[in-house]
Amino acid sequence: MVGDFLKDCHVANDPLDQSKGQKQEIQDVDSFSRANRLAMKKSALIAGSLSRSGKRILHLDPNEYYGGAEAALSLAEAESWASRCAEATDTAVFSHASITKPPPSGEKKLLSSRAYSLALAPHLIYAKSNTVPALVSSQCHNQLDFQAVGSWFVLDSASNAQSGLIRVPSSREDVFQDTALSLKAKRGLMKFLRFVANFEEQTETWHDSKDTPFPAFLEQKFALPAASHGPILALTMSTAPSSTTSTGYALPRIAQHLRSIGIFGPGFGAVLPKWGGLAEIAQVACRAGAVGGGVYVLNKAIKEATKSEEDNRITLKLSDAEQVSTTWLCGSAETMQTISPAPDASSGSSATVSRSISVISSPLSALFPSTSEGGVTPAGAVVVVPSSNNDGPPVHILVHTSEAGECPMNQCVAYASVALSSDVGYAQIDQAIANMLSNFDQEPTPEVLWRLQYQQRIPAATDGAVLMDGSFISLPAMAGDLVLADSVLNGVQQAWQSITNEDENMFMKFTSRSEMEDEE
Amino acid sequence: MSHGIPRSTTTSHDNKSEAAKAKERKQIENYKALEKDVTERIQAQDFTNPTFQLTSTLLAQNPEYYTIWNHRRLLLQHVFAQELASNNGPPSNTTSQEPAHDASTTTTTTPPSNTQKKDTTLSPAQREISLLINEDLTFLLPLLKQYPKCYWIWNHRSWLLSRTSRHLPASASLTFWQAELSLIGKMLALDSRNFHGWGYRRIVVQEIERLSSRGEEEGGGSMVEAEFEYTTKMIHTNLSNFSAWHYRGTLIPRLLSSRAASSSARQDFFDDELALITQALYTDPYDQSLWFYHQFLMSTLDASNPQAGVILDPVDDGVRRRYLEQELESVREMVEGAEDCKYVYQALLEYARRLREVGGTVGREEMRGWLRELRGLDPLREGRWMDLEGKLGL
Repeated sequence: MVGDFLKDCHVANDPLDQSKGQKQEIQDVDSFSRANRLAMKKSALIAGSLSRSGKRILHLDPNEYYGGAEAALSLAEAESWASRCAEATDTAVFSHASITKPPPSGEKKLLSSRAYSLALAPHLIYAKSNTVPALVSSQCHNQLDFQAVGSWFVLDSASNAQSGLIRVPSSREDVFQDTALSLKAKRGLMKFLRFVANFEEQTETWHDSKDTPFPAFLEQKFALPAASHGPILALTMSTAPSSTTSTGYALPRIAQHLRSIGIFGPGFGAVLPKWGGLAEIAQVACRAGAVGGGVYVLNKAIKEATKSEEDNRITLKLSDAEQVSTTWLCGSAETMQTISPAPDASSGSSATVSRSISVISSPLSALFPSTSEGGVTPAGAVVVVPSSNNDGPPVHILVHTSEAGECPMNQCVAYASVALSSDVGYAQIDQAIANMLSNFDQEPTPEVLWRLQYQQRIPAATDGAVLMDGSFISLPAMAGDLVLADSVLNGVQQAWQSITNEDENMFMKFTSRSEMEDEE
Repeated sequence: MSHGIPRSTTTSHDNKSEAAKAKERKQIENYKALEKDVTERIQAQDFTNPTFQLTSTLLAQNPEYYTIWNHRRLLLQHVFAQELASNNGPPSNTTSQEPAHDASTTTTTTPPSNTQKKDTTLSPAQREISLLINEDLTFLLPLLKQYPKCYWIWNHRSWLLSRTSRHLPASASLTFWQAELSLIGKMLALDSRNFHGWGYRRIVVQEIERLSSRGEEEGGGSMVEAEFEYTTKMIHTNLSNFSAWHYRGTLIPRLLSSRAASSSARQDFFDDELALITQALYTDPYDQSLWFYHQFLMSTLDASNPQAGVILDPVDDGVRRRYLEQELESVREMVEGAEDCKYVYQALLEYARRLREVGGTVGREEMRGWLRELRGLDPLREGRWMDLEGKLGL
């Protein structure tokens, strides 16, 4: 996959001297009038956004595989990745990685390594967000496949009922059909959902409570008992414990969920990119960058960057002692800190998240009911497992069917995460997955065929603001949010604007290349 | 926009550049030339294929031009007649009304149903007609997708389907109609509130039932159970669906009689439907389509309504009182949490009125209270509420 991509990565007006015969070799200082050193997915978006700008772009990746922290890995690639991360220190982005392959008790087994494309960054994208319109206006959508994330579930671990998996009602029709809700409970929940639908205009109801913990708000303002909170909280996709999830945080997130429903199709509001999460979007954006003349190089890191006082150009010293001169240098906040530490930059706090990727031996079809008569069968589902002690953070499990292109048929992939460090987090996510699987009363019982677990350190999000120091642009890290936030693209837009100085309405607005040819 | 589904429109002229305007002028010229050409050919009775192709081009640009659809049908009719006359196959009145049998066999007295089911061979004429119809249906598909509310497209489609019933044996025709049912299912999945779709569905279902019932299967080919189930599914997909609730209501009397439902079965059914709509009303009392359905159910108890469908049987004033009291109480509970919903108060006043008519009692003060709320919620209709006040003697 990686190799194939590199073959595609040709340079249109070749700044390199082709006669030297090696696409990836970087020439000396003069060859590039502008170059940007980038990392990770947001960098891919910048490369893509600049692909029509006429700027020369050099995209450097210190890894030997493409995609950085948002890569999609085969089983073998996951194994090498895990052994590298196992040796990493606590302060590295990824650490404490290990793989387990429980011996299968039945006939179900793992297929070959390449039958899997596991996403390190599984995300869901809401219809009401800036991502999809940007992908459409930039013509990238033709190369991307999105699939429906249909149902949300809450795993009621305390319940002794046969199915502890409760489907979260998130529309009027869901509430209507939910047999577990009494008539009065239906009415109460609907009243809340109607409120959220235009909560911005009803500030008198919530503005004073915006810092109040959300469960207290639900009880006080809507007389919704604690037992009914689980499903509502699930819609916030908050990775924090319910007691620290504020009303001001929860309401817009629930509103986004509700308002997104029906936009892409009846009954669902979120999608996942096929073939391995954000890796696919990043790949398409990089391809766009490459078609526009960008160069993408793996296995090269920047050791040092110094800015000249006279002409404002930055000289980069690369890992193999080559040098490149550039006008702009753009990278993640962390990388920029390593290359060119700014004295005033605060190191900031960071969150630690425990994650796992599990290959499950069964398709778990009950998680993916069609969301409407004659509608699509979703490829994604969300299972939220509240903490067994009230004050802990919930475990989120994103489950993807084989239709997401990440595993073979009759299996599925469960991506679990919890905002805890691995010493307690791993046990919690293992328990959550086991709990979830125990709710499937089928022969043979579903089991985990393969699991990768790892700890991820996520620097504190800086609200999407792009810090700049002259010609250095540092992109903030993505928060540990499973929902792709608008701030990601906003940060990219700010960077793009600094570099191109163009009107903000032109961001990611490209005519299709074939149309352009027709007009000539 | 029409209930959230955009109607196909063209952009306003003023926003275009000079180049775009020039392009548009050229398009208009071409269009008018095409229109002239088609009209002249039809007038000259030129019912050949080139003319047919020209109508395709014209209609693809303007499917609302219903005259051209008429012309197209004239053309097709002409071609069908030619096929049937020129071929050596069975005479043109060998249709789904009668079994198609081999021209070489002598007339036998086999009952229609036996040969009907097994005989799927088409004469050369019928094969040609079938192909032409199929092509035209295919031609219509992208147009239908783009203009799902254009009467003339639906009309032409149903005409084509009716030709299959007329010219082809039942089994062949049935295949067309069943494909149509599948298509309408998809169209309604895209826009469940497109009333063209629902009306069309009823025509399709009716025809399938008719064609199937000439077979030997017991129960005719009645699809009433399947269609009832379909309305259940559609309501679950979108509660606010006037067409689905309406269709459901029209199916119920037939459903019950096809089940040969006993009095107690009918009562159970009625109670279940009331429970269903009550559940819906608690979920969304602001949705008028739900109140309409509730009124429909209650109308079957209304002695003064000559068109009332039959659900319960028998119905006397005792039964009426019981249900009106029950529903009145149920709606009283709905006020809480929906104090700003005028439909609730309207329902209360209406059922209170009817309850009194069958000998029940409702306090005048209570009714006056409801009327006051109604006036407050909907002051623009003051005239109507005054009228109501008078009629109710409040």
